[in-house]
Amino acid sequence: MAEITGDEAPSPPPPAAPSTSGDVPQSPSSSTPTSTDGKPPLRTTKPGVKRLVLTASVLVSFLVGLPILLKSTEIHRSPLPSDAITALANRLHSNLPSFPCGLHAVFLRADPSPFDASLPGHLERSISAQLQLLPAAPTAGNVSVSTTVESARGCSSSISVGSGWRCGTVTAADLARGDEVFDELLHSVLGSGGRDGSRVYTVVVVEIDDAEGMRVVIGKHRHAWVVGKIDETKAVTAIGKVFVKYFMNGGIEEGETGIGKGEFMPVGSDGNLVLSFSLLNADPSDWVYDWEFEKIGERMLNPVVEALRPIAEINIESQVLYHTPKSSYSYYDDKLGGNVLSMGDIPFFVNSNEWHLDTSISATGRSKVLQFVVYIPSARECPLYLQLPDGVLSKTNAFISPMWGGVLIWNPPDCSLGFKKTHNTQKKMSSQELMETIEIFIGQLRQLFGLKPYYLSQHMDIPTKFIVSEKGFTEWELDLLYRQHACSNLLSCLTTLESLSSLVRSLPRMIVMDEIGRQVELSLEAANLAQRNATLGISDSSAVSATRARALAEDAFFHPSIMSISYASIEHYFAIYMPFFAPVSLHVLLAAVKELKRYKAERAKYSVFLASRATPS
Amino acid sequence: MAPPPPPAGRIVFLSFLLTAAVAAAGVASAAAPGQEEFTEELLLRPLPDRKALAHFHFRSSAPPADSVGRHHHLFPKAISQLVKKYHISELELSFSQGRWNYEQWGGFDPMSTSNAKPPGVELWAVFDLPLSEIDVTWKNLTHTLSGLFCASINFLESSTAFSAPRWGFKLNEGNLRYGALPREAVCTENLTPWLKLLPCRDKAGIASLLYRPSIYKGYYHSQKLKLRSSQSVGIILDQTLTVVLQPNTVSGKQLHSTRGQLQPNWSMRHLFNRKLSGKCLVSKSSKIFIEVDKGIADKINKTGSDLPWNNEFFKLSNYPDRLIKDLNELEVQSSSLYEYDVSQYSEEQPFDVGITWKLPLIWSCVPSPFHASRFLMGSGNERGSIALSFMSTNLHKQIFGSPNDCSIKAVIFQVVPWYVKVYYHSLEIFIDGNRKTISEVVDKIHVTPSEDKLLPGTLEMLLRFPCNMQSATLTLDFDKGFLHIDEYPPDANQGFDIPSALVSFPEFNSARSYPEIDASLGSPLIENFQEDSIVKSYTEALLVPLTTPDFSMPYNVITFTCTVLALYFGSLLNALRRRISEEERELKKTVTRHGLIRLWLAKLRGQKVDPMESGSSSELAGSKKLLFKVVFVAVAAVLFHYFSNNS
Repeated sequence: MAEITGDEAPSPPPPAAPSTSGDVPQSPSSSTPTSTDGKPPLRTTKPGVKRLVLTASVLVSFLVGLPILLKSTEIHRSPLPSDAITALANRLHSNLPSFPCGLHAVFLRADPSPFDASLPGHLERSISAQLQLLPAAPTAGNVSVSTTVESARGCSSSISVGSGWRCGTVTAADLARGDEVFDELLHSVLGSGGRDGSRVYTVVVVEIDDAEGMRVVIGKHRHAWVVGKIDETKAVTAIGKVFVKYFMNGGIEEGETGIGKGEFMPVGSDGNLVLSFSLLNADPSDWVYDWEFEKIGERMLNPVVEALRPIAEINIESQVLYHTPKSSYSYYDDKLGGNVLSMGDIPFFVNSNEWHLDTSISATGRSKVLQFVVYIPSARECPLYLQLPDGVLSKTNAFISPMWGGVLIWNPPDCSLGFKKTHNTQKKMSSQELMETIEIFIGQLRQLFGLKPYYLSQHMDIPTKFIVSEKGFTEWELDLLYRQHACSNLLSCLTTLESLSSLVRSLPRMIVMDEIGRQVELSLEAANLAQRNATLGISDSSAVSATRARALAEDAFFHPSIMSISYASIEHYFAIYMPFFAPVSLHVLLAAVKELKRYKAERAKYSVFLASRATPS
Repeated sequence: MAPPPPPAGRIVFLSFLLTAAVAAAGVASAAAPGQEEFTEELLLRPLPDRKALAHFHFRSSAPPADSVGRHHHLFPKAISQLVKKYHISELELSFSQGRWNYEQWGGFDPMSTSNAKPPGVELWAVFDLPLSEIDVTWKNLTHTLSGLFCASINFLESSTAFSAPRWGFKLNEGNLRYGALPREAVCTENLTPWLKLLPCRDKAGIASLLYRPSIYKGYYHSQKLKLRSSQSVGIILDQTLTVVLQPNTVSGKQLHSTRGQLQPNWSMRHLFNRKLSGKCLVSKSSKIFIEVDKGIADKINKTGSDLPWNNEFFKLSNYPDRLIKDLNELEVQSSSLYEYDVSQYSEEQPFDVGITWKLPLIWSCVPSPFHASRFLMGSGNERGSIALSFMSTNLHKQIFGSPNDCSIKAVIFQVVPWYVKVYYHSLEIFIDGNRKTISEVVDKIHVTPSEDKLLPGTLEMLLRFPCNMQSATLTLDFDKGFLHIDEYPPDANQGFDIPSALVSFPEFNSARSYPEIDASLGSPLIENFQEDSIVKSYTEALLVPLTTPDFSMPYNVITFTCTVLALYFGSLLNALRRRISEEERELKKTVTRHGLIRLWLAKLRGQKVDPMESGSSSELAGSKKLLFKVVFVAVAAVLFHYFSNNS
């Protein structure tokens, strides 16, 4: 230690010569006799910078080393394209994807009045004006209107005709063959969709002189027809109403819940959907029912599955469960001759303790299961009816629970025969009954997807008929679904991406794997594709891309590596590096500050010395 | 190692699948395929040590159809989807608590060979897949099963936890995977999902007897699920639950109550605290069996009682519907089954059957040819050895007579985790205390050595013991490995479990034969009893203590190293920038300026001051310094002792 060397202290300097030159110990002591009256000591030599440079270099190397250390201990964060996400958000928020579509009005005129070549143009303008008046659907883009007027004298169209209508192929006489046949005939003439993939809806106005009043038939493809003795203004109003109310809005009025009213689609975020059908025997000691779902159910549901494919991959499963009592109370009503379950008890009907409906292995990841349950009441509570709030019994005896599925109460035929305990009788639901049940379930599925289970004609002031499709969904309804689905998926994809990017930003110590970055990029790509398809009006492929975009975004968000945050926290980091860097940096900083101070003081002394030497000389 | 499957094999497999699919479609369209079926059975058996065995057996079967996995009536949908998704041709999953007592409860009957399972979870599966895809499928399967049964079966996912035995466990073509978790605790949360697979759950039928407090009070509890699937028979799911219970002694008159060794009388109601009110309505058959061991059956036969259910030894409370006798190879009756059909009983007329002993009886169950047990030797945390010991039960004398030059085969299958590094070359074999060369005893051996953090060690060994041998011991040395700090499980100080080894005797078959009944009668339980099954027994699971670190060690190390480094660095920096001569001058100056205190301080530091002031004072200061040092050390020592005792 330095102190010990004090033993061999050099010759004691004169007590009145405290001036030092610490840089070089061997350097000669101050030779100037200096003041003894408290004036600052002077020094004769230039203060050295060796120690200052040394400490400064250590400090500098520490400062330089700091970024290197930070870089080397950095955790891996894949850069997320946050700019692209904001751009997408801006695009989607400023204008929702809107699907342009066409409306083609065809007038089949009966009166042999002279043909007016300007009539199509005139009609086109009045229909456009009519469309302006009616409220537009949120997902509908601009509508291009075209008209064709056809009569015995000739046929004339407005400039650009959207559909594949050919004059002379359909006449008023074809109507006599029935609506279904006429519907197919129109379909064969019009084809499906427009030339460039966008959707063109056709309304045919068939003028019949000897008919009284008007009626509207909405087909199962993308067309409707109006029959009757019609003047132009009435026809234009009807066309506008049919187009906006049904083709664009699915018949859902203002204030009703349904598609496009903030309802979610019951589709898993990876685009899969499992429809699980269960037959529940509440108490098998009374009766045991079985069904042949695999034959009838598959046959009836396959067209539905095909129709909904752009929205969701649907799997169908079925099972039979036993000992599954309901968990709400019903009471016996003498007037109705059965047990009645009021609307208030329905929320407690599903007994999640005893109904082991289970999810399915095919419902992997984030796909969705919709449960459709046939409940067979026990003998004690049979027959069981649902009572609507207005006291009337429900016609279908079924209810839905949004995003969960539907329940149907099926009263077996035995229970009306008076209860007689028959042991160990395994019965089958007849195929007729099963088909009715599945029809109700298809209606429920429509409802779960936000469409109306059935249409009431009183919404129009003209008698209206709807031709139902064996697919459960007509083509124009599917268009509506695709549009809506693409929109909601794009929005949900955007929300997910935005949350992911803000999460990543808010947690600077979070590890972001390359895979997450890649998934985000792919998701953005798919979202852009969906948007581009939407502007072209191709609703089904837009729905497919939107589904993909959402699935990828969710994959990125729920990537298992996101959990690794807990292993690289900032506390951890500090705990490892603090014990070394805190004491060492304290040393270095203090040394540098001291040296600097000292150097300044010494230099001041030296300059005083210089000055004092300069003055006497 | 197995060669990769030739591409031709896959094509053949594919075309086979195609034809199978076509055939299945044809069958489905032509006629309704067979129905899904469900049967439930219960077997009760008095055990020699005053306990009672209850064995529940439920079978669900699904015929082959293309709707398998999607549309089901009785068969659990979850299981069929599992089979379909993972292409399982066989699977067995067991949850056990307690250890099967091979000496007391028997080691040579179908119950012990196929229903006695090692403690914890055991899972094995045979896949119908190309070899390269099996490991991935196994991993997915473990995750699915752990979700399905609320158990940590997913710990079998890592490649250190499962092995692929070729012949030691079950002969296969490399498509079998085996894994065991000896420490898994089994309780009612595993039973509930298991019951959910039954159509009636525990709401009706035989399963309604499963009153949790009674069955978990037992000495042994094993819940098993066995799946078999093939193109021809569809899927067969056997769910069994084996429990060994201590019957509550029925109050009332006890014969020979002075002797404590009388068998307790029991009935189903006493065993389970539940009444059986009829069958599960969708089950095809619902039967209860009471089995009486060979030991008792022999005695009954000797007395020649004409009423088999009410003889001079015991009386069954109900008249059985049928008596089924098991005949062994020598056409000698060995055990009898009393059968009861539950279907005619109902809520108003519950079924109960019990056994009342009339005479104190002592009998024993047939043991396995050797009683196998396994234990650890050695001490310390560095190395040890595993010993497997076989004690002859002299069973061969009863079966083969007593030829002297015969030999008995035994197969050992043992999986050892990688951190127990077994030196397989150190295998030593002692027969009746004499050391033997390996080639004398071992017929065939297959070892998969463990790889650190990658593979467990697997030992499959076929031994041939001479018949007249009384005891044999095999020892294997091992080193204990070090684990990475984050590989230790919680509560690492408890030690690490080595899964049970399986010892099987391929020459002994525990199948029963019931010549009086025809196979078509359809009792899956009896069918299982009749199936060929070689005699097996599981050894104990071992608990190996490993060196466990202090888990705050990394931080201690970091802090300590950093402190040393910081000290070094600081003093180096100080040394570099210190001006020694200047300090000395300063010191001198202050000494002269400030007088005594500084002087004294300087003296303490050992510097010389003016000689005129030295003398007695310096001596005084020296002794004070010494005193101060002594006191300081003493205080430090006391403090250290105090704190180290406190913590």
